Amino acid sequence: MINFFIGMIVIVGTYVIYLFAKMIHRKMGYSFTAPVITSTIIIIAILLSFQIPYETYMIGGEWINELLGPAVVALAYPLYQQRDILKKLTAPILVGTSVGAIVGVSTGILLAKSVGFEDVIIYSLTPKSVTTPVAMAIAETIGGVTPLAAVFVMIAGIGGVLFSSIVHKIFRLNNYIGRGVGIGSASHAIGTSKALESSLLEGSISTIAMVVSAVVVSVITPGLVAILL
Amino acid sequence: MLKFSRIIIHIAFLYCIYLIGNWIQVTLDLFVPGSVIGMIILFVLLSTKMIKITWVEDGARFIVNNLALFFVPATVGIINYFDLFVGKGILLVVIVLFSTFLVMAGSGLTSQWMMRRKELNHD
Repeated sequence: MINFFIGMIVIVGTYVIYLFAKMIHRKMGYSFTAPVITSTIIIIAILLSFQIPYETYMIGGEWINELLGPAVVALAYPLYQQRDILKKLTAPILVGTSVGAIVGVSTGILLAKSVGFEDVIIYSLTPKSVTTPVAMAIAETIGGVTPLAAVFVMIAGIGGVLFSSIVHKIFRLNNYIGRGVGIGSASHAIGTSKALESSLLEGSISTIAMVVSAVVVSVITPGLVAILL
Repeated sequence: MLKFSRIIIHIAFLYCIYLIGNWIQVTLDLFVPGSVIGMIILFVLLSTKMIKITWVEDGARFIVNNLALFFVPATVGIINYFDLFVGKGILLVVIVLFSTFLVMAGSGLTSQWMMRRKELNHD
């Protein structure tokens, strides 16, 4: 019974904090004010100041966690909405995204390995380019730590948004397809919201790249890990 | 209230597809997460008009618009891994950033180059 109450408090509390974080993000609009970051920081601050263990929080958290699976399934919806653009630009988007996926997974593995990090950390770092729920699912499948995977995803998202204009200049990425595929493949949803600020079309392409990249990375990661690690 | 119950039913439907994806993963012993298999199934079902978009639309839109909510409890788990980012751990941040830089350049350049070639062939 007490677990039921803790669970309810956690679910309602998390939702309220999330809504608050969303409101802050709407007012500020920076990539580092993304609701997931603010909500996570607020909840961690509450847990630390009241000395509540993570395990207690997860009595309710598990319930929200359980919806991560259907959340990934739901990503088919934005892809379906953009199907006309996907049909028209199938080859550039698919090939570009696949190149990005291979580059991301292999450089992640090789760099982390050369510095000498443990395998479990490398497993968690490998899927960093894809949207958080998928990255966590991949990390779990290959034996990584899911919250750690989520943190690397955030770093890739925010970092990508911060240096995207430099990348555009250095590599002369000057059309919406190159830019959209680049930011969607590298920085998932955080990058996509940045692309949407440039133009609706760039945002749509970034959305497609983000979802396609999630599929490609989940297919190639186990193989590349086996070969490179 | 009607809208709310529609969202719940749609999410329950998405959950069933997720369970089917999981079942396929386990049965065929695949490495691809069941949720990603479910996503592919839903996309195929929608594209081939086997199911109507109105069967999932409200739930899917609610989830996608509030995607972050669903992984907040998982990201809070970082609370147990703070010590990882001190000392050598900071290099992990550098690696992720550098790799992200390469992904953006590699994927962006490839698709831009293919697009140009496509346009040239059409002219």
